[in-house]
Amino acid sequence: MTWVASVNTTALAIFAVVVGITLVVTYFASKRVATATDFWAAGRGLTGPQNGFAIAGDYMSAASFLGIAGLIFLFGFDGFLYSVGFLVAFLTVLFLLAERMRNSGKFTIADVLAFRLKEEPARAAAALGTLTVVAFYLIAQMVGAGVLIEGLVGIDFWLAVVLTGAFMVIYIVAGGMLATSWVQIIKAFLLMSAAIVMTIWVLAKIGWNPLDLFRDARAKSAEGEAYLKPGLFLATPIDTVSLGLGLVLGTAGLPHILMRFFTVPDAKAARSSVMWAMVLIGAFYVMTTALGFGARAILGQAGEESAGATGNFAMPLLADELGGDFFEAIIAGVAFATILAVVAGLVISASGAVAHDIWSNIVRRDRDSEHEEVWVAKIAALAIGAIAIGIAVIGGSGLNVSFMVGLAFAVAASANFPALLLALTWRRFNTTGAITGVLFGVISSVALVIVSPTVWPGPDSEGGLFSWYDLANPGIISIPLGFIGCWLGTMLSTEKVTERTFDELYVRSETGLGAEAGTGLTLTGRGRGTRAATAATSVIPHP
Amino acid sequence: MARTESRETPAGSAHHPEIDWVAAEKSPQFRDLVAKKRAFVMPATAFFLVWYFGFIILAGYAPDFMGREFITDGLTVGYVLALTQFVMTWVLGWLYLRRADRVFDPLAARAAEHAREAGAGGARFDRTASTGRGTEEVTPR
Repeated sequence: MTWVASVNTTALAIFAVVVGITLVVTYFASKRVATATDFWAAGRGLTGPQNGFAIAGDYMSAASFLGIAGLIFLFGFDGFLYSVGFLVAFLTVLFLLAERMRNSGKFTIADVLAFRLKEEPARAAAALGTLTVVAFYLIAQMVGAGVLIEGLVGIDFWLAVVLTGAFMVIYIVAGGMLATSWVQIIKAFLLMSAAIVMTIWVLAKIGWNPLDLFRDARAKSAEGEAYLKPGLFLATPIDTVSLGLGLVLGTAGLPHILMRFFTVPDAKAARSSVMWAMVLIGAFYVMTTALGFGARAILGQAGEESAGATGNFAMPLLADELGGDFFEAIIAGVAFATILAVVAGLVISASGAVAHDIWSNIVRRDRDSEHEEVWVAKIAALAIGAIAIGIAVIGGSGLNVSFMVGLAFAVAASANFPALLLALTWRRFNTTGAITGVLFGVISSVALVIVSPTVWPGPDSEGGLFSWYDLANPGIISIPLGFIGCWLGTMLSTEKVTERTFDELYVRSETGLGAEAGTGLTLTGRGRGTRAATAATSVIPHP
Repeated sequence: MARTESRETPAGSAHHPEIDWVAAEKSPQFRDLVAKKRAFVMPATAFFLVWYFGFIILAGYAPDFMGREFITDGLTVGYVLALTQFVMTWVLGWLYLRRADRVFDPLAARAAEHAREAGAGGARFDRTASTGRGTEEVTPR
C-alpha cells in the first residue's frame, strides 16, 4: 500500500470522533441497563424504525461497504449478485421468522427451540450453531478490520485489531444491547450518508447520466463487454446457484440478526423494522453499483493494483480521487464505524449463547440469579473478544478469511435456519431432529468448505482437495442436508412429542399471546416504551 | 422448564399453564388467522423464490443473455433483472405489512382474546390437561 506512507492523522482524528460519539452513547446506556432484559434485549424498548436502522447497521459489514463495491469494481456484474442476495434474504426473514421470533423468544434463538424441545440438548445444539456462525464471521471481520485500518490509518495490524476488539467489548460490557443498538443506528446513519454523498459525487463527475456509469466502466475495463456480464468472479454456474441459496436462507439463520427482533415491544414493530431495514439495505446496495461501476469509470484499470486482490481499497481510493485526503479519511472513519457495529452485534449474540444458554441453563440449571447471568455474559463478551483478538493477531493479516463470511452464511442457512423454522411450524419435530439437523448442517458446511478450492488455492487455481469437488459455496448441498438431518432425526427417534407445548408455541408465535414483556427502557429514560411492551403482558397476568 | 422458584425471572421464555393452548390451537378464530396468513405468505414466498432463483439461474447458466443490451447501450438485461429484485422485495414487503396491519393483527387479537377468555372463564378450560402439563413442566430437576 504505497499510498499510505505513515500514520494518517486526519483519519486518526475522524476515528477518534466516531469512537467518541459511540462512547458517549455507551456511557448513557450504561446508566440505564439494569436487568437481563435490558442487557440482551435493550428492554424491548426500540421502535420499529430504530430497530430497522440497527438491523441495517448490524448486517452491512465492511464486506458490504468496501467488499461488494470492490467486487463490482474488479468483476463488474458478479459483485452485484451478492447485493441482490443480501437484500432478497430479508423477505425470508420477514415472511417466516421476524414476528415469530419476537413472539416466542426471549434473548437467544435457543429459547425458541428450548420452549418445546428438551431444554439442555436443544440449547446445546442452538448454542453450537450460534457460536460456529459467530466464530467464523467474527474472525473474518477482525482480520478485515486490521487490514483496513492498517491500510487506511497507517497503524500496525495488531494494534488495529486490539483497538477494534477493545471498543467492541467496552460497548457490550458497559452498555449491553442498548449501547450496541445505538452504535449500530449511528453507524447505519453514517454509512447511508457516506454512500449518498459518494454516489452523487460520482454521478456529478461522470456527467449525471447513470448509463454513462456502465458505458465508461466497460470502456475502462480490460474485460470489455464481459465486465457487464455474469461469470468473471463466479466461474461455475452451479456455484452461482449455491451462493444464491446460501445468501437467501442464511440471513434467516444469523444469530446476531435474529436477536435484534427481541429488542422491540411487539410483532408489529418487528415486521416494520424489517421493512425499514429492507429500504435502507436495498437503497445502499443500489448505490454500491454506482460506487463500484463509478470506481471503475473514474479510477480505471490502473486502480486495480492499489485496490488489493479483493478490491477492498477501491472505495478509499475513489474517495481520495473525488475529495482528496480529507474525504478519504471520512470514508475510512465510516468503514471503521461499520466494523465496530457489526462485531459488537456478533459478540453480544455469542455472549447470549455462552451465558444464557450454556452457563445459566445447562451448567447452573437455572439456580443462578439474573444478576449472575448478566455478569457471566460480560465475562463471556470479554473472553470472546480476547480470543478473537488473539486469533486475528496470531493469524495475521495474511490469514485467508475470504471463505469465512461465506462459511458463516452456509452454517446459518444449513444448521440454524432449518431447526428454527421446523421448531416453529412442524408439529412432529423433536429434540433428536434438532440435534441431528444442527450437526448435519454444521459438519457438512464446515467439511465442504475445508475441501473447497477457496481453502486449497492450488497453483493451477482450480484447487480443492478433491479434483471432482470444486464448489466454493456449499449451500446447495449443506442446506438440504440440514433439513434432511432434522427430518431423519425426528423420524428415527422414539421420543414422545410434547404436543401441548407445540400448541403453546404455535399459538404464541402467531398471536403474540404470552410473549415476553419489555421493561420500557430507552436511551433517555424508562417509561415511554412501556405502552406497547405491556400490551403483550397485559394479555396474561404473570403467575 | 419454568423453574421460577429459583430465580426472580424464568430463564427461558415463560410458559403460561393458565391458558388452554390445545383448545386455543383448535379454535376457529386461530384457524382463521393461520389460514389467512398462509394464503398470503405461501404464494408470496413461492413467488419471490421463483423470481430470485430464476434470476440466479440465468446469471449462472445464461451469461450471454444477461449481458445483452436492454433498450439502450450500457444497460444490460442482467442489470435490469437485478433491479426488479429490489423492486420486488420492497413491494412484497409493503404488501405484507399492509395486509398484516389490516387483516392479520385484528385476527390475531381476536384469537388471543378468545384463548384468554376461555382460560379465565374456565368453562371450556380443560383443567386436567392444563394442570398435568403444568406440573410436568414446572418439576425441578
